[in-house]
Amino acid sequence: MSLKRINKELVDLGKDPPANCSAGPVGDDMFHWQATIMGPDDSPYSGGVFFLDIHFPADYPFKPPKVHFTTRIYHCNINSNGGICLDILKDQWSPALTISKVLLSICSLLTDPNPDDPLVPDIAQLLKTDRQRHDSTAREWTSKYAM
Amino acid sequence: MSDMEYESEEEYEYTYSDEDESQASYSSHAMDDSASLEMETEVEEGSKKRKSRGRTSSLGDAVMKDTNGITMMNAKDILPMMKERINEVSEILNIPPSAATPLLRSHKWTKERLFESFTEDDGKIKKDAGVYHRCMPVSTEETNTCIICFESDISKEQMVGMPCGHSFCIECWKGHIQAKLDDGPSCIFAQCPYPKCEEVMTEVEVKKAAPELLEKYESYQLKQFVEVNGTSRWCPGPGCERVAALQNGSGLLDDSNLIVADCDSCKTKFCIKCGEEPHAPLLCRALDIWKEKCNNESETANWILANTKPCPKCRSRIEKNQGCNHMTCQKCKYEFCWICTGEWKEHGANTGGYYNCNKFAQEKNKDEDQSDAAKAKRELDRYLHYYSRYHAHSEAQKFASRQLADTEKKMVALQERRDNSTWTDVEFLKSANEQLVECRRVLKFTYAFGYYLTTPPKTVAPVEAVAKDEDSKKAKKKSKEDKQEEDKDEEPKPKTQQELQKERFEYHQEMLERFTENLSELVEKPLDDIDREAVVNQTIVVNRFMKGMIKYVEDGMEEGA
Repeated sequence: MSLKRINKELVDLGKDPPANCSAGPVGDDMFHWQATIMGPDDSPYSGGVFFLDIHFPADYPFKPPKVHFTTRIYHCNINSNGGICLDILKDQWSPALTISKVLLSICSLLTDPNPDDPLVPDIAQLLKTDRQRHDSTAREWTSKYAM
Repeated sequence: MSDMEYESEEEYEYTYSDEDESQASYSSHAMDDSASLEMETEVEEGSKKRKSRGRTSSLGDAVMKDTNGITMMNAKDILPMMKERINEVSEILNIPPSAATPLLRSHKWTKERLFESFTEDDGKIKKDAGVYHRCMPVSTEETNTCIICFESDISKEQMVGMPCGHSFCIECWKGHIQAKLDDGPSCIFAQCPYPKCEEVMTEVEVKKAAPELLEKYESYQLKQFVEVNGTSRWCPGPGCERVAALQNGSGLLDDSNLIVADCDSCKTKFCIKCGEEPHAPLLCRALDIWKEKCNNESETANWILANTKPCPKCRSRIEKNQGCNHMTCQKCKYEFCWICTGEWKEHGANTGGYYNCNKFAQEKNKDEDQSDAAKAKRELDRYLHYYSRYHAHSEAQKFASRQLADTEKKMVALQERRDNSTWTDVEFLKSANEQLVECRRVLKFTYAFGYYLTTPPKTVAPVEAVAKDEDSKKAKKKSKEDKQEEDKDEEPKPKTQQELQKERFEYHQEMLERFTENLSELVEKPLDDIDREAVVNQTIVVNRFMKGMIKYVEDGMEEGA
């Protein structure tokens, strides 16, 4: 079941790729993918290319995939290990969601960070108090690590 | 019905009678006259609050066994209770039973609470419980595509829909249900597989899509019912699956009294309110605070209280591996009390003295030093005083429990030694040992209780009654205090209500300790020297006294004398 479904997702991604994203298996292992996200234009991550690592559990899609950034990013919901705080990757996961939908959700998280549920409190604090300084640091990190 | 008389003077006697048990009597000499009590027991069925009259204070079945409105049952026997509530709600609110279950669940299985909030805003209540569409189903969209596996030519029979209109193929349903069951008890809160749909999945879908998983799913539903409905608790015995259900009363959250459940299957005794071992006279809340304190301070305490003590005379390190506190140094034959390391001679009834070691002598600390460090030191000393005794009885309880396990062997040996004796003739050993375990447990908690009895009231009031009765007792106390002042000129300050209560409590504690030590010694004698009658009598005496003490605390420590 899992493998069949992952294969279908791969085919669909080829047919109808989501905007600014791409994803596919790393090698022969269909349960281990790599994905890229282009920094959204209306965000301080614009121009950057961010890599992500995706592991599918054996009972996928009934359990969420494990997704994390391998490119450093300055974001209050993404920590230094690349861990992402996103509800659909945890308790709000639904087996009807796909990698394509997950990547789009991460894209919108880059555009609209959620400082009220932060993984990195310092960044969230700065975002709330001094948006300009937050954005310039985010831009700095983007050009340093993602270009 | 049982009666007990407890007369003072030089000697007093317990008489105990029960419908089918033979009479037993006990006598003991030389107890402090002023402390003599006359007690009478009246067991009134169903009534736990009894009033003390005049000079008599009632002593009864304060530690309640089996007859406390507790029923022990198998988990499946509690199912009808759950079904009954579901059906009642289903009928009254005119909703399907599968919707009534999550609604009850979100209201702690209390119908009244549910009906009340239902009248306010039933739409919100239904949405919060995830049964909005189950109460008002929308028509399911006819589709032959499953949005989970993306298969597109699935027959109608292979699709199972939710009341919210979303449907999925049976195979995907199975995967979803299995994944939720793998998460454990939270599976009963699982929602529709559709993204962000908040309608909950119920036994209806499980039955349709994965009937082989229904039993497991329903066992989780039942488990949650047992844990949350407020009148039942799983037996904490290892591997035991019995449920203790409180038949009446204000439920498990009411911390004003203690009810002990006695598992008929694994013989575990536990407090039905909190699931811990029976902890009278301490209330559940106070136990919680005490345990936390002990956890926080255990390192200090352990550092100070090593498991061994030096012999007070020859300083040889001694490890206590017997239950009795009467120690004899193997090296110098010095006899002392393990708890206070004082000479044992001063503890015996023969010298007119008795257990003084359960009292914490505040005098020791009457230093004028008011610095924070000194205060902290005094507070630590005070805690250690109680903790060390709590710990000592706790260890003795463990020892007695281990001994209880070996009792059967001892009983066999005893039966062989004595001609013409039957199994019932040696069963007294078992009851004596059981009594010892119970006494050690109660004594253990009396020290936690004692600790809070003298704490500034801000921290915790383990017995609400203490504060409640304060006013009513003040007048009575006043005359007593006046009298004391006249009698003792050298004592300028009259004793406060709290001090008097503490004194009385410690007196009871001391007596129980003494009786327990007696019994412990009697039971630990070599087999040939065991005196059946003495053990039997002492067991009864100790049992009565223990229950009396708990009752005394339960009644707000109102003294008849």
